[in-house]
Amino acid sequence: MKRIRHNILLLVCMAALAACHTKDEMAYSTDPVENVEALWSIIDTKYCYVESKGVDWNAVRETYVAKASRLQKNDLIALFDLCAEMLDTLKDGHVNLYTPFDVSRCSSWYDTYPANYDAQLQKLYLRDYRTAGGLYYCTVANDSIGYIYYSSFSSSFTGTNIAWVFRAFKDCKGLIIDVRNNGGGDLTNAYKLAAPFFSEDRIVGYWQHKTGPGHNDFSPMEPQQVDASAIASKWKRPVVVLCNRRSYSATNSFVSLMRYADDATIVGGVSGGGGGMPLSYEMPCGWTVRFSSVRMYDREKKDIEQGITPDVTVTMTSTDKDDIIEKAIDLILNR
Amino acid sequence: MPDRSYICRYASLLALLFWAVMSVTAGEGVEHTNVLKVKGGWNYQLDTYLSPLAYHGWQIGIGNEWWQPFRQDTRLGRTGCLANWAHVGRLDIHGGRNISSAKNNLTYGLEINGGWGAFYAWRWLDNRLKVFLGPYMEGGFTVRSIAVNVNKPMSLDIAMDVMAMSGISWSFYGKKTSYRLNYQIRTNLIGMDFLPDYWQSYYELTQSVSGTLRCSGHWNHHTVKHELSLDLQFPHSTWRVGAEHVYVNYGAEHQRFIRNQVNLVIGCIWKYKIRANERL
Repeated sequence: MKRIRHNILLLVCMAALAACHTKDEMAYSTDPVENVEALWSIIDTKYCYVESKGVDWNAVRETYVAKASRLQKNDLIALFDLCAEMLDTLKDGHVNLYTPFDVSRCSSWYDTYPANYDAQLQKLYLRDYRTAGGLYYCTVANDSIGYIYYSSFSSSFTGTNIAWVFRAFKDCKGLIIDVRNNGGGDLTNAYKLAAPFFSEDRIVGYWQHKTGPGHNDFSPMEPQQVDASAIASKWKRPVVVLCNRRSYSATNSFVSLMRYADDATIVGGVSGGGGGMPLSYEMPCGWTVRFSSVRMYDREKKDIEQGITPDVTVTMTSTDKDDIIEKAIDLILNR
Repeated sequence: MPDRSYICRYASLLALLFWAVMSVTAGEGVEHTNVLKVKGGWNYQLDTYLSPLAYHGWQIGIGNEWWQPFRQDTRLGRTGCLANWAHVGRLDIHGGRNISSAKNNLTYGLEINGGWGAFYAWRWLDNRLKVFLGPYMEGGFTVRSIAVNVNKPMSLDIAMDVMAMSGISWSFYGKKTSYRLNYQIRTNLIGMDFLPDYWQSYYELTQSVSGTLRCSGHWNHHTVKHELSLDLQFPHSTWRVGAEHVYVNYGAEHQRFIRNQVNLVIGCIWKYKIRANERL
């Protein structure tokens, strides 16, 4: 009996010892240096644009670790400001720090560009509109052209919504899809909204995942295609997509892939970019950092992180009309 | 050296074949013992796909365990080598909530585990002391969600393991109650895991199965599950109280998943017989 008891005790001890294996765990800490180091490391190993942003990331580490060492240990506001400043060196709208008291954001990617959107002027066109899912729609130019405003790719819609929109536009010569100031959202909605304008499945770009800690550790380019059958309703007349610099992330992808639709023209200002699909990760103090993790390319394998140059560039200057919508109307009516 | 994935595939096939043969030999007219359990306890979780921080919390669950000898009917002369063989099955469902070590994020988890195995029992002291050993096959499905992540709101893993199972039970008697002290342990030998790659968003979680389906064994996966329990047999009912410890630790490329759970268990035990073709 003694031997049996001894063996049971041995087994329990072995299991308890096995349970101590936690070397992969990041320990909780509010220490400024540890957090800045961890944040730097997350970006260094997981962010997909360290090389292409042209930032000396090692120099950034030296600068900000030195600054962190001068912070008081429990001054979380000062730590947040320092981390936000460090992330701002990347000038990427997808790089944000989320804390319970603030979210860091970078605006330098659109600050120097023309706004190319005025909500008051848009109201001159978006009158008596209906709403189908996240789509606001009406007709413009004496009911000859359909107009859809989509303000966020986070707002969902269905094939039935699209069918009702197209039914309202059945006598229209063309269609305008306005995605200006649309900051993105769910990428699957971008592919779904594009589907009615593709008569067949078509490769529209490529993705590369960041698969390792090295700056150039990427997966092979994976082709991405629009599934034309995702939406049964089809639009076989001209379509014009309106974009500006604030057309970002999933919207940027939508603008990029619409260039390969059957009969589409992109009009407005250069889109915002944000081609890298973001993921997020936690820091030792529990804050979450969001960063681009997947590089996206167009069909010509050109990176779309810097934005899409429209087919027809228009800058808004008028104060009594929307020059970009007017240009789109002109393009459709003069086909 | 042969490719590990081939070893896993053939081992899994052989295991399935073994259980298929054993299950068709499991007959009627034998006594089934069933334990219905409720559990609750403490949980430690590390899932670096979701977060590098450890999460702690609680979970509750229900489980059912049953076992039966393969043959009991000696009239048919089937005692032979199967007399000391029995088989056991389990099904457990757990749900829990964990909070990060930074105390500002939550994860929720749901876990379903099921398994079936066979064991050989050695008996001493007039059947009061039993030691058993045998193979066990277990399948598990776990889903965890986290509120704060962008494009990674959930993690998913599925595992199929061939395990070794062992245990000991000792029956003793009080004045009005008889007792049985049980200890069981199971550990994985070889199997297959489905885990997300750390760079995958939820869009892609199930898209590239070949990249996320991994052969598992002691080189990358450690599972130890053990339970210490005491069965109390009263005149009209039998109850179980005990504690179980589940430790799962497996690694994939640049990732680590650890689950360490301690549960208190209360169960109700009953026995029954399946009698086919018998009129009441």
